[in-house]
Amino acid sequence: MSFSSEDQSCAGGDDNVPPPQGYRRFAWRSGNSANSLLFEQRAVAVNLGLLGALLFASVIYLSLGSVKVAPVAVLQALFGNADMMASFVVQELRLPRLVAAVSTGAAFALAGILMQTLARNRLATPGIIGIDNGATAFAVASIVGLGVSIAPPAMALAGATTAAVLTFGLAAGNGTQGYRFIVAGIGVGAVFGAITQLMLARVAIDTANAAYPWTVGSLNARPSGALQLLTLGLALGLATAMALARSLTLLRFKDATASGLGVNVKRRRLEVLLLSVALTGLAVAVAGPVGMVGLIGPEIARSLASSRSVPILAATLAGALVMVLADLAGRTLLAPIEIPVGIVTAVVGGPWLLWILMRPQRSFT
Amino acid sequence: MLLLLTALVAVSLVSLLIGAGSVGPGRALALLSGAQDSEAHFIVWELRAPRTLMGIVVGMALGVAGALLQAVARNPLAEPGLLGVSAGAAFAVALALVLGASAATLRISVAQLGALVGCVCVLSVARFHGVGNDPIRLVLAGAAFSGLLASLTSLILLYDQRAADEIRFWVIGSLAGRRLDDLFGVLPSMLIASVMVALIARPLAALALGERVASGLGHHPNLIRWLVIACVALLVGAATAIAGPIAFVGLVVPFVARAFAGPDIRRTLWFCLPIGPLIVLAADIISRVVVAPSELPLGVLTALCGAPVLIAVVRARRLPML
Repeated sequence: MSFSSEDQSCAGGDDNVPPPQGYRRFAWRSGNSANSLLFEQRAVAVNLGLLGALLFASVIYLSLGSVKVAPVAVLQALFGNADMMASFVVQELRLPRLVAAVSTGAAFALAGILMQTLARNRLATPGIIGIDNGATAFAVASIVGLGVSIAPPAMALAGATTAAVLTFGLAAGNGTQGYRFIVAGIGVGAVFGAITQLMLARVAIDTANAAYPWTVGSLNARPSGALQLLTLGLALGLATAMALARSLTLLRFKDATASGLGVNVKRRRLEVLLLSVALTGLAVAVAGPVGMVGLIGPEIARSLASSRSVPILAATLAGALVMVLADLAGRTLLAPIEIPVGIVTAVVGGPWLLWILMRPQRSFT
Repeated sequence: MLLLLTALVAVSLVSLLIGAGSVGPGRALALLSGAQDSEAHFIVWELRAPRTLMGIVVGMALGVAGALLQAVARNPLAEPGLLGVSAGAAFAVALALVLGASAATLRISVAQLGALVGCVCVLSVARFHGVGNDPIRLVLAGAAFSGLLASLTSLILLYDQRAADEIRFWVIGSLAGRRLDDLFGVLPSMLIASVMVALIARPLAALALGERVASGLGHHPNLIRWLVIACVALLVGAATAIAGPIAFVGLVVPFVARAFAGPDIRRTLWFCLPIGPLIVLAADIISRVVVAPSELPLGVLTALCGAPVLIAVVRARRLPML
């Protein structure tokens, strides 16, 4: 996590001032101006650790399955000098799915931590406040053919936006924060869930089966085009989030404090909300509602990182890691039957959520 | 109360008269006044009359269960559908379907068992660290629990396409095309539940004054709680076995009932008896006519109407404490 040094004024560009404890400063001069970047040592360590774990998990992911490929052969296949069979399995079958897992996990977790910071509540993830359900309902509508000819990914985005507008619109008034906002979201989500069930019951079983991945969250049916859109959106979104990192850190305080520290609270809120909704919509378009990742990823990141800043990058990496591991478990645990990744995360994430709720109420916001 | 009963009779009559099909109110009325019309006879007496009966039973069960659960959790948002009691019942039924159970009576007891487990789980979570004292946290816990059970249900259905086909019609919650056998099957447990409600109503009213007062008056708070939980499980399980999971009825009915009856749980329970069927039947009638000639299932309609109520309740500046 990086943000620029705040003691420019008193230091007057002098980079001899020792950095705050736990931080490391990288300073350089170009011409007359002195530049420096401040890194939190712990954040760097956490991010590198998570990245390493993600890479390790990815190799395992590529090697396990109905056809086992030794990890060494996986690496060879990735760099293009392995036998036909291994490189086909790794490059053609598993790599696209791995990319989908990493990018959807990252997008869900990034959207989750953005929304949590916005709502000042660690349970306010898009999955819980009904945005996933909205996206799913719209995507299913386009699959079961309710006279809609727009592709599922676009519909998922539209659904996510609709649900977000509904939730925020209904919860406005006494605060976009706190639990009331979440319960409003649960209500909105219940409505969209009911509509989805209704649509599924209306159509023939084959069509219902085609829509099934959308209702539980699965990496099996990845619509072409949606993944490219997601990776693009994720890259842009992550860059934007990193640029907003400092304001996000300050948004955790009261509105008055944050604006006193120079944050345009209303505008930032809107930006962060839009970013979070767009990421959720795109991720649902690829994988369906795997909502729990948006809760688990940030939760892991927060427990690892210090509380000085919002661990955006760490949450994103942790989300990708969770998604890869969950899909790996879903593919291999009950092989040859494949458990959709959404079920794996819900079975793990549900008890986790209950555990968070049952702990004493010290760190809820 | 008299007004409510009259309204209930009127709504039941309307439920007989109005439907999605070709037999309109005119023909049905003619039949009721003695005309010979075999098609209308079939529709009204074979389809709509059982459906109306089931609506009445389901409404009573869900309304009373909601009122009991709200009283024992002292939480106006405690609703069987939101707290995962219905999800527990649905999960149990899905499990039974996959394992090959088809007898109606077995389905009922399985649903009740599932509801019992769901109820115990959520309320025991609620007793940890005062989650139950915060209405909204309790709802969140219920949502987490329901989500978990729903995923487990999906997981079970992965194994069995036949069950998946059957269950997708059942999980929406509807009174259409349900078997009358189910209704007769639940009558014994409904009877047991009403006796239990009659027995615990007084102690429950004492419990509303606080645990100490209740024990001072010679009641046993823990025993009362367990009886209430068993009662809720019987009622919700029965309603779910008949109609599938129907959310938000248990939230809305006690709310309306309290508006009539005031804070006393005994009066509230009495008022729930006509109000529950009234609301369920009204919703069922609306569900037949809004998208006629097809039907909008009851569960979808209650979600559409109940979610705004939920949001209105949490938006209210102060949650009404029980």
